[in-house]
Amino acid sequence: MGRDVRRRDRAEREPTATPRRRTAGSALTAMVVALALGALFNAAAMKKTALDMPFGAARDLRLALVGPLASLSHWSLLDRPAEWTALALGKPRPGPPPARAGSQPAAGQDDEATSGRPDGKPGKTLQERPLPKPYKGHPMRLYIAGDSMMGLPGMALTNLAGKTKLVKTLLDYRISTGLCRPDAFDWPAQLRAQVKAFHPGAVAVMFGANDNQGVETPSGEVYQFGSRGWKKEYRRRVEEVVAVLYRGGVRRVYWIGQPVMPDSSYDAQVRLINEIFRGVAEKTTGVHYIDAYRLLSKGGRYTQYLPDAGGAIVQVREQDGEHLTYAGGLIVAQAVLDAVESEWFPDGGDARRTPPPASPKPTGAATPEG
Amino acid sequence: MLFPTITFAVFFLCVFIGNWLLMPRPRLWKPFMLAVSLLFYGWWDWRFVFLLLLSALVNQAFAQWIAARRRRGARSGWALAAAVAVDLGVLGWFKYYGFFVTSVAGALGALGLNADLPLLRIVLPLGISFLTFRVLSYVIDVHRGALQPASLLDFSVYVAFFPYLAAGPIARASEFLPQLRGPRDPRDLDTGRAFFLIFGGLAKKMLIADYLATHVVDGVFATPGQYSSPEVLLGIVAYSVQIYCDFSAYSDIAIGVSLLLGFRLPDNFDRPYAARSVQEFWRRWHMTLSRWLRDYLYIPLGGNRRGTVRTYVNLLVTMTLGGLWHGAGWTFGFWGLLHGCALVVEHVRLDGRRRHALIVQQQRRALAEESEALLRTAPPGAAVGPAAAGPAATAVSMGSSGASPVTVSGPPLEYDRRPWPGTWLPCLGTFVFVTFAWVFFRADGFSAALAVLGRLFQEWGSLGAAVTPAALLAVVAGMAVHYVPRSVWERGETGFSTLNPVAQGVLLALGFMLLDVLGPVGPSAFLYFKF
Repeated sequence: MGRDVRRRDRAEREPTATPRRRTAGSALTAMVVALALGALFNAAAMKKTALDMPFGAARDLRLALVGPLASLSHWSLLDRPAEWTALALGKPRPGPPPARAGSQPAAGQDDEATSGRPDGKPGKTLQERPLPKPYKGHPMRLYIAGDSMMGLPGMALTNLAGKTKLVKTLLDYRISTGLCRPDAFDWPAQLRAQVKAFHPGAVAVMFGANDNQGVETPSGEVYQFGSRGWKKEYRRRVEEVVAVLYRGGVRRVYWIGQPVMPDSSYDAQVRLINEIFRGVAEKTTGVHYIDAYRLLSKGGRYTQYLPDAGGAIVQVREQDGEHLTYAGGLIVAQAVLDAVESEWFPDGGDARRTPPPASPKPTGAATPEG
Repeated sequence: MLFPTITFAVFFLCVFIGNWLLMPRPRLWKPFMLAVSLLFYGWWDWRFVFLLLLSALVNQAFAQWIAARRRRGARSGWALAAAVAVDLGVLGWFKYYGFFVTSVAGALGALGLNADLPLLRIVLPLGISFLTFRVLSYVIDVHRGALQPASLLDFSVYVAFFPYLAAGPIARASEFLPQLRGPRDPRDLDTGRAFFLIFGGLAKKMLIADYLATHVVDGVFATPGQYSSPEVLLGIVAYSVQIYCDFSAYSDIAIGVSLLLGFRLPDNFDRPYAARSVQEFWRRWHMTLSRWLRDYLYIPLGGNRRGTVRTYVNLLVTMTLGGLWHGAGWTFGFWGLLHGCALVVEHVRLDGRRRHALIVQQQRRALAEESEALLRTAPPGAAVGPAAAGPAATAVSMGSSGASPVTVSGPPLEYDRRPWPGTWLPCLGTFVFVTFAWVFFRADGFSAALAVLGRLFQEWGSLGAAVTPAALLAVVAGMAVHYVPRSVWERGETGFSTLNPVAQGVLLALGFMLLDVLGPVGPSAFLYFKF
């Protein structure tokens, strides 16, 4: 039997026919045709990629190159195969959405969000009410959302929270996203949908790592990062996020700030962003600012290593210096969980076994509304 | 600059044109190839371009020193040791500094000692482990006399050649440098194979590896407690498929891109999950690493020449160091040790079988000699011959006349050299073992690995949301490529090569469109970049 197998292997290794050799010119022709035609087939997706770039000269240049290509692709019907394939597979249509899918709320839907008063009447009442205590079988639902910086901290928080048996989590992180570019990824819409589906009592969010770029206001004005207009617009978006969550019945928001960064100019940018987060948290009932900058720095300065809960020195930042390792994520996650525990089940084990007698259907825990 | 990007496509088109235009003029061609390779590397972090150049300069100096000492008949061992120390020192500094410091701090902490060790932030240069293997193979081969030092320019091109720069295959200097000596025929390109490898690599990476990573593997390994046992099982198997489809994709693209430039790189994968033993797995998985470890570590350690026990120790040492090469963490060392143990078990089986075969052969030889002696003394026409002596006698060359002396030719030892009998069961067993070992390779520490494995036995009540038809299809597709005979691929390559170039381009464009629609949004880095 072994010999049979070896014979079969030998047979497989023997080439069946000699491939036809080609000239470098033929190869170049094939490559040029493949790239040119491929670019036309995928022009819509290329345009979407260009649109998602930060506002500025590079984006304008890319759009100037890709825009006509996309038009030609559409005119020559060469964008149809990709569109049909996507439709057939139930995938989103390639390219930018037909209409601008920004964070602007539908009429009458999110009025408070744009008014800059996320702690308006409906939210204020709910957030000021006593929090329902979770118990076994009826955990508090914690929705964890953010950009790639939330990846491993979110996983660490999921693991830590799972051990309490009192917190059920949903982790939802999207790389290369933030609050500056709802045209690339619309976080308020995503949060609205997830809150509606998951009914969280609390939400932990971490944004900002990709927000060191310009923003476009609903009226079409573009403000570069750090300008007065940018700060005002970015603050409005942070408040909008809180408003969206509160309208969905969320009782607490744990807003995680950005950690210290190795590059000094990037670090200055995240400090500015953190100030906005902190400012909104301080003025909004039910929003807690988790100071990851302090947690992950050593004397206020950047460090790659920190002691973990057991005192062992661990690497807290990935090789890129920016993202957190799982060990670094655990430090942040523990801070979030401490904040959760201190509010939702401060008496620890007392509430862990049996449901409270007067509350068969707890509010804000398994369900957001009582 | 990642392979699956428009940036790389445009870059490569320019390099392709420059390569074939300048190849007849080596004085222009080699600096051009070096410059584009440095541009490719500098795209990630321009600072490390200097590391690359410095590495080429220093190792070239060592090679020249070693060769000069050899020419004088002096010993070059110390020069080689210095070169190895410098190269491993650079690798250790960049890759293992943090691991070393945290391990020492942990050990001191366990003893109740607190040492304020310097904790520096060190950025890992892309592909530094592969770079170290390349330059070491060069200086060691020069030391062994297997290679003459090349010119600094040639050696620099070898060090920095962009297709294999980040993640292999580990081409040796002796394989690559001769290809720089003379121009290749621009009318003799194996474009069929090249395009097949490039497109196949992109498909494996974008459609299978990235999909499984995002939808199954990352979640299961980070938060196993959130997944049911079937999901965890799928996640573990999916990681086996992911790492194969990711790493082999890079190798395939690197080989394909090199072919279009007129360079031949060694194969790196040969359907590894079809292996019927761990030995065979390592002959099929990351083949260029396996042979590097064999030739530059296992054999210098003594290989199998110093007795059975030493052979096993050498295997364990080689595989554990090979594991640690993959990453700065004890789990990587443990992964290598697991493979080393499996190889030892297989060697023990084969050694036992070989000893048994040796005894049988000796008995047969004795029998043959006995029958020969009988033949000499027997009267003419007596029935003494192969039939009486048994099968072994056929291996004994007898003189044409009974009076001539007997020649025992020493036939090769006949025994089953497969560690495990059968085909499908050993194949399955090898895959299960390799997949089990990958858990330690992938997990973020031992406790995380045990948590993943432990979760396999806790919740079989429901399938879980991660077990989707798409995920199963990706796993099946990733495994199915192992069982498609090579001849099928070759027929496909041949068929593709007979199409005219425009038809080839149209087919490739349609393929790229499918990848774009079906693949993930945005490119992701290859797993082996961090090794």
